[in-house]
Amino acid sequence: MRTFLIWAAVICCGAAVFAALWPRQAVGDAERKALAEGRTIIQYWDRHQGHEYDMRLGFIDEFNRSQDKIYVRAISVGYDGIMEKLLTAIAGSAPPDLCSLESTMMAQLASQGCLMPLEGFMAADPEFAPANYFPHAWESVAIDGHVWGVPTTTDVYCLLWNKNAFRVAGLDPDRPPGTFDELQEYAEKLTIRRGDTIEQAGFIPWQPWDMTAMWGLLFGGRLCDENGLAVCGNDPAMVRMMEWQQSFAADPNSAANPPYAMDPEAMSSFTRSLGAYMSANNPFYSGKVAMMPEGEWQVTFIPKYAPNLDWGVAPLPTPEGVEPMVMGWPCVVDCIPRGSRHPEAAWAYIKWFYSARPGGGPSPASDYCYAIHNVCPRKKDALQERFTSNPKFKVFVDVLFERKVVSLPPMPLLQFYNDELERQRERAVFRKTTPEAALMETQEKVNAELERQRRFVERSP
Amino acid sequence: MTRHERRDLRNGLLFASPYIAGFLLFTLYPVAASLYYSFCQYNVVRPPVWIGLENYHTLFFDDPRFWKSLYNTLYFTAFSVPLGLAFSIGLAMLLNQKIRGMSVYRTVFFLPTIVPIVASSVLWLWVLNPESGLINGMLRQIGIEGPGWIASEHWAKPSLILMSLWSVGGAMVIFLAGLAEVPQTLYEAADIDGASRLMKFRHVTLPMLTPTILFNLVMGLINSLQYFTQVYVMTGGKGTPVDSTMFYPLYLYRNSFYYLRMGYGSAMAWLLFLVILSATLALLVSSKRWVHYHGE
Repeated sequence: MRTFLIWAAVICCGAAVFAALWPRQAVGDAERKALAEGRTIIQYWDRHQGHEYDMRLGFIDEFNRSQDKIYVRAISVGYDGIMEKLLTAIAGSAPPDLCSLESTMMAQLASQGCLMPLEGFMAADPEFAPANYFPHAWESVAIDGHVWGVPTTTDVYCLLWNKNAFRVAGLDPDRPPGTFDELQEYAEKLTIRRGDTIEQAGFIPWQPWDMTAMWGLLFGGRLCDENGLAVCGNDPAMVRMMEWQQSFAADPNSAANPPYAMDPEAMSSFTRSLGAYMSANNPFYSGKVAMMPEGEWQVTFIPKYAPNLDWGVAPLPTPEGVEPMVMGWPCVVDCIPRGSRHPEAAWAYIKWFYSARPGGGPSPASDYCYAIHNVCPRKKDALQERFTSNPKFKVFVDVLFERKVVSLPPMPLLQFYNDELERQRERAVFRKTTPEAALMETQEKVNAELERQRRFVERSP
Repeated sequence: MTRHERRDLRNGLLFASPYIAGFLLFTLYPVAASLYYSFCQYNVVRPPVWIGLENYHTLFFDDPRFWKSLYNTLYFTAFSVPLGLAFSIGLAMLLNQKIRGMSVYRTVFFLPTIVPIVASSVLWLWVLNPESGLINGMLRQIGIEGPGWIASEHWAKPSLILMSLWSVGGAMVIFLAGLAEVPQTLYEAADIDGASRLMKFRHVTLPMLTPTILFNLVMGLINSLQYFTQVYVMTGGKGTPVDSTMFYPLYLYRNSFYYLRMGYGSAMAWLLFLVILSATLALLVSSKRWVHYHGE
């Protein structure tokens, strides 16, 4: 009897500790109040971090204040690792109700059945009419007859140049390179070497981002055909792009390297030494790299991290013989994961965020784009006066209307494809392979993986 | 079994039950499941589909990056484990002297071991920075332009091997314990025989340390074959430049979590397990020839 009582006491204590440690549903006063009011709590995972996430929180607070039925709890998950965390949560039947993602990740998750299609929610709602959006933005979320996300932002890439570096190199600081030949000529003039090391780089195509796929499109190349199969290996424009990127790295066995070429080992050391992207040590801000392909968010970043930088922005030059194009990277999108416990409430938040405010005011989504200086994926919003009145930001907006926009196709294996292209680009730069072989290997690898995926879906119960 | 013994057994099992339940649920089941998944195509979201030996066939015959990652890991292991052992034995010998303040010195050399791996990796990123890093800065002071270290295809693996010496403190403490176990009488006998310090080290210390060496060798081997966090942090998970730091566990991780090829990743994990098991067994079998236990 005594043993039984001891055991009963131990179990009771254990249960009490367990109950005390059990996670509470509410994590703050506002949430506790919302719970007491019987509101539905929805979880929102944001891929943004830092000041961009802080801005997001402001809008979520506004939504929560306007509500008596729903309360949004936001968590900044960040770009790195969101895929793993989301997959684990979906597989464990505990996904967030709503999440923001890169559209490239969205395409992969959608193809695996991890997301809810949204066209049912959107039906007959003029706010979400495809015609409102830039075509490349809408095409990034509309795949195989379903809409998997709502575009929040779209990225536009232009050429940023450091006017002081231009002055030092004897170049006109108000005249950026207009052609690829000029880009290469300026790159050479702006590069400063000290012995075997690089002190300042004029231009490196893969700095700050490796955009091999995007450069390929800008050269007039194709990543996939109508059936979704990779075709980069057979595309002369893609080969030209890879040769062009490779030309920035000197071939140690050749005496005929272009003057702008740099030693690949020295380039690797140089790029690995550069400061953090979101800091005053960003290589463009600190004058380590004179010209960069960059996005519109720099209109916010530069005044924040390098207020004294004298810089300019212009559309990227296009290779000779190719019509002028602009790189529009797919968007950040809001999605509802499959298994969300409150999809209707999640959609209510989406609808509020993307719709005009009562009285016709701008939508919170466009306010958010303004706050973090991203181009709005909706054409009308992108043209708001507050965006176009900033002459630098206007360059990013105008180019979307004036040029043909090229963007990554929403392939289910885009992440894999992109990574493989980046890897092969690096191998080509270090002369481990030729541009043709690099692209052919990528094509074969991607198509083999596509075939594996196709068979998997076929054999899945 | 008496009534008393039965009660003790029941109580013992009950006390151990949280661990047993955790072990079965969170270790044994996932390990067993991963063996099944290694014969399947599986992406976590859809149910696994049985494909037999296809994952293993692809690894062996259609994936050169698998061989590259295996080579990188074996290269790292081949250099970092013996070097780490030599360093930790050397440090333990130095810190086994009878001088004032020895406990402070021991603490100083052990401290790096308790620094979190991510923090020490970030620190080493700065130390090895080709432009503004500590090592190249010092080399520049004496007129030498240092290599690109982690940014160089040729220096990346040696950099990581050098960095692995940062955490020899753990093995060093075990060697210190081993040194304390060496009977003083053996040194006295060696003195009488006229042995020099080197001879005493070669014929007394080292043989008496062999059980400790075996332990540290096995642990070092297992750890270095699973080397992941440092290289993930220092290369952003990409194994750059040109796959020179694409270690086996990193490639396994990329396949599983970047590309959702969980079956493929599971096959890789089982192959790694077999490599570790074989290497450990080989060491244990060979130890009969070179490990001397007290009294033998």
